[in-house]
Amino acid sequence: MEYYNPNSYPAFSAFEEPPPPAISSEGIIAEDITKRFRSAASTLEPGELVKDGYFSLFESVGALEIMDPKMDSGCLAPGESLYEDYDVTRPLLPSEVIGIIDQLLSFEVAWHLGYPLSQTLFTSVYIEKMVQLSPQNLEDADFIKDRPAGSPRDPMHTVLRAYCLGLLKSCHYVNERIKQEHSYEEEDFVTNTYSRSLLENLDRDMIREEIMAARKVIDDMKGELTDEVAHALGFRLELRTAFLRAIELSELRTNSDSLSVPWYQMQGVWESINKSRSLGTPVPDAFSAKIQRRLASTMPPRPIVQPTPEEAHENFKRMIADGIRVVNVLNYSDSQSLLNFVMTFQAQRPQPLVYIRSLLQSFLFHEMVILGRLSIRQILGDDLSITVLGRSVLLDPANDEIEAPQHPLFVISQQMELFRQRAAQSYLDIFRTFCQNRCRVRRTMFHALLDWESMQIDAQELDSRLQLQLKEKPLIYPPTNGVESYSLPLSSWTYLYKLRLMEWTVQLGFELDIYHPDELAGMYWYLGYLARTRAAHVERVQFFAARRAESEHNMSKTYTSLRPSQSQNYRSKPYLDLAALETAYTSDLADALSWLYAALLRLGLVRPPPRPYSTEALRYHQVRMKPFAGIGLPELPSHEAFARVVAQEGTSTPMLLEQAARAAKDARGKLEGMAKLKEKEAFAVGCHEAWLKGVKNATRAAIATVVAATSLGKVVQEKREGRVTVEVPKAEKAYHEWWIVPRVVEVRD
Amino acid sequence: MAATKEPNADSEVHKTSLPGELQYIQYQHSLEAQYLPAIRSLISKDLSEPYSIYVYRYFLCQWGHLCYMALNPTDSSLIGVVICKLEMHSSHSTPTLRGYIAMLAVSSQYRGHGIATKLVRMAIDAMAERNADEIVLETEETNIPAMRLYERLGFLRSKKLHRYYLNGNSAYRLVLPLKAVDESAEESE
Ligand SMILES: CC(C)(COP(=O)(O)OP(=O)(O)OC[C@H]1O[C@@H](n2cnc3c(N)ncnc32)[C@H](O)[C@@H]1OP(=O)(O)O)[C@@H](O)C(=O)NCCC(=O)NCCS
Repeated sequence: MEYYNPNSYPAFSAFEEPPPPAISSEGIIAEDITKRFRSAASTLEPGELVKDGYFSLFESVGALEIMDPKMDSGCLAPGESLYEDYDVTRPLLPSEVIGIIDQLLSFEVAWHLGYPLSQTLFTSVYIEKMVQLSPQNLEDADFIKDRPAGSPRDPMHTVLRAYCLGLLKSCHYVNERIKQEHSYEEEDFVTNTYSRSLLENLDRDMIREEIMAARKVIDDMKGELTDEVAHALGFRLELRTAFLRAIELSELRTNSDSLSVPWYQMQGVWESINKSRSLGTPVPDAFSAKIQRRLASTMPPRPIVQPTPEEAHENFKRMIADGIRVVNVLNYSDSQSLLNFVMTFQAQRPQPLVYIRSLLQSFLFHEMVILGRLSIRQILGDDLSITVLGRSVLLDPANDEIEAPQHPLFVISQQMELFRQRAAQSYLDIFRTFCQNRCRVRRTMFHALLDWESMQIDAQELDSRLQLQLKEKPLIYPPTNGVESYSLPLSSWTYLYKLRLMEWTVQLGFELDIYHPDELAGMYWYLGYLARTRAAHVERVQFFAARRAESEHNMSKTYTSLRPSQSQNYRSKPYLDLAALETAYTSDLADALSWLYAALLRLGLVRPPPRPYSTEALRYHQVRMKPFAGIGLPELPSHEAFARVVAQEGTSTPMLLEQAARAAKDARGKLEGMAKLKEKEAFAVGCHEAWLKGVKNATRAAIATVVAATSLGKVVQEKREGRVTVEVPKAEKAYHEWWIVPRVVEVRD
Repeated sequence: MAATKEPNADSEVHKTSLPGELQYIQYQHSLEAQYLPAIRSLISKDLSEPYSIYVYRYFLCQWGHLCYMALNPTDSSLIGVVICKLEMHSSHSTPTLRGYIAMLAVSSQYRGHGIATKLVRMAIDAMAERNADEIVLETEETNIPAMRLYERLGFLRSKKLHRYYLNGNSAYRLVLPLKAVDESAEESE
């Protein structure tokens, strides 16, 4: 929006009436409404607000005040010029080229971190001059315009220009990739290019050739440059080619080994770039906040954001390392390892940059072909098989071949297709959700819960149709004093994920420091409750899975065309065993921490704030547990029941602490068992190291819980409650973000 | 509402004792000429980006009755202010009457005397009297004094908002439920 025209300023003083603009345009009849406006305005008191019902807070925040230098980008201090007056045609020393490139690298990092181009790369006068007229061909893509025909470019200009070409082109690809995948504009990243070109019209190979040519120019200058400087310039150009190559290969989604080659190349080059930083001379004048005035934007001018060279180094290094790692997702082994890959990759602190997260999304989902080679059906089938169905006839693709509508396999094939249509999007959304920033992961999962809740009901309907076709015989479950039940595979699968989603939202609450310390006893109790519910469900699934072969045998007797489900050893066994272990340690450790915090509340070592407003029950139902209110199974306990079980009033404090120490010890044992699992057994193929790190950190949290509960037990025994204080660490300071273990500290005199 | 600046080194240093019993008064439009400049300057002192005059008027012209000021009894100068709004909020499946605390500031030399607490309580009381279902606000994750103040009164953090402010900092959404609202688990944006 142009709200200020520099050419007409200052045509009139503030007190004089400006002359009415001469409007003469075909089809427009101008009418001077100054008088009417004035008389209407005179009926208002100063400061009275005139607005329609649609003028929202958002609009009022977007309003600018003319002549306030913080808001008005055209407002100049006395003597200040409107534009920067840096001369891009001036000769550059090699050290200045290094300096400018290194500044550009810092700005590139700032852009990757989420700051707009207007405050980062677009503050470069060289870039502005290069792109402001949207170059359509290679010759125009230069910051020096109107170069006399036939005269060669200055060598240092050649190098800087080639660097800028490669930089802008990679920014174009990065921006496009991010726009194609899911992320949050402004919050994660700003894709606005302010109508400036990022060389989208120039061919990638031509740009690569320009960079090669510039490297040749450096070689030819051997006599004039020291080796060090020549290498420093060369490495910087090589970084651009390698990055372009890494981007190009990532579009192929083929072999992870070849995809990682340019990333490794960048890694080596980056080290050399970092070491040669001292050879550069910064040229601060080559960057200006004033360029923002020329960009198509309604934003007030904002300060330049330039990370320090150290921050730039750390972030660039990390982006490269993540770039190397992310391509490993392409080595698909099974759906659960894939989920673990995405979860552990995204659980890294700090989280991978948006571009890398977008790459991961494109590897996963581009054109609805998972990892470049799997159909959604394959991956969903794989997951159903691993988790509940094993080698069930329900998953046999040969069912699709049956054409007789009365044939049970025909009906089965139809019902399974209905289920896939219902479930595919929700299932893939779990992966997509984990690729978002952590705050959004939690919020998005809350929304997803309701979807899974309703899917579970739909799945039950399909289950009952399937059991009819399979002539499934009900089994008594639980085996002792249970009732006749069916296996319900599809709704079992849905329930399994719904419970995991519920646990994740609670765990992310710990990770994001959502809960006040006095809420921790309750939230860990709830986590334990969810984990126990999942454990019981896993047990049920195990029971029916182990007998599935038998029950499906009935059917194969009737229909000889059926392939009998072969082995008694069901394929889902290792997964269910692992799930049993994982839910068991989770409920143990959650219980331990719940009891520990309950004891701390009793002892007054963790205190609730006075909270004169609202009530515990309102806070519980309207805020903290509100996202779970719509879930039918497991039902949210009433506030009364919740408060009772969390307080554990029937148990003495020493007992409570003893219980806590014991449960944490049990958790530790289970975690140590998990740490021994091979990558296949852990369903962590391709991410075992990261997965193991999570297990080890949880183990440390379990050990710390034992220590805290035991030492607090002693304090209570010795009646030294008044001599200790308790620190509740922030999640980032905890051994594991999901396990906030309090520290008992002796008060010193 | 907006991000606060890093506190400058001297802001907490010279604490002054209170100049006697402060006056707490409700804002009204007739006070604009006398107090709006002072409100603006008090609030923008701690903001990383300034608000235009429209933002203040947006609130004060519509919800002046939900704005309270703490005044110095000796010269009636402004020491603290809270600015709010109260509106139907309908991204929930059941619309709620939602109060929103938009701005709060106390002159740095008079902090730590309970002035902000008193102002916020007056604002909550006024909104509760007008049947608010809930009161919400956002505060920067690094703004410990503000978070403690609200949590002491009964607010809970409901969600974290990633890079909510232009300075790149994240925020927490704080919620104080005042009434039971019957609805499904729809989370609002
Ligand atoms: C946040 C802010 C408004 C708090 O103002 P304040 O008047 O100092 O707040 P209060 O005095 O009510 O509370 C502050 C402390 O004083 C204590 N206090 C409360 N009543 C008190 C009293 N009568 N006497 C002494 N101390 C008191 C409180 O317990 C609190 O201590 P704690 O937080 O260390 O536990 C102020 O710091 C400020 O203006 N900050 C900049 C703007 C800002 O951040 N606004 C909030 C944006 S959402």
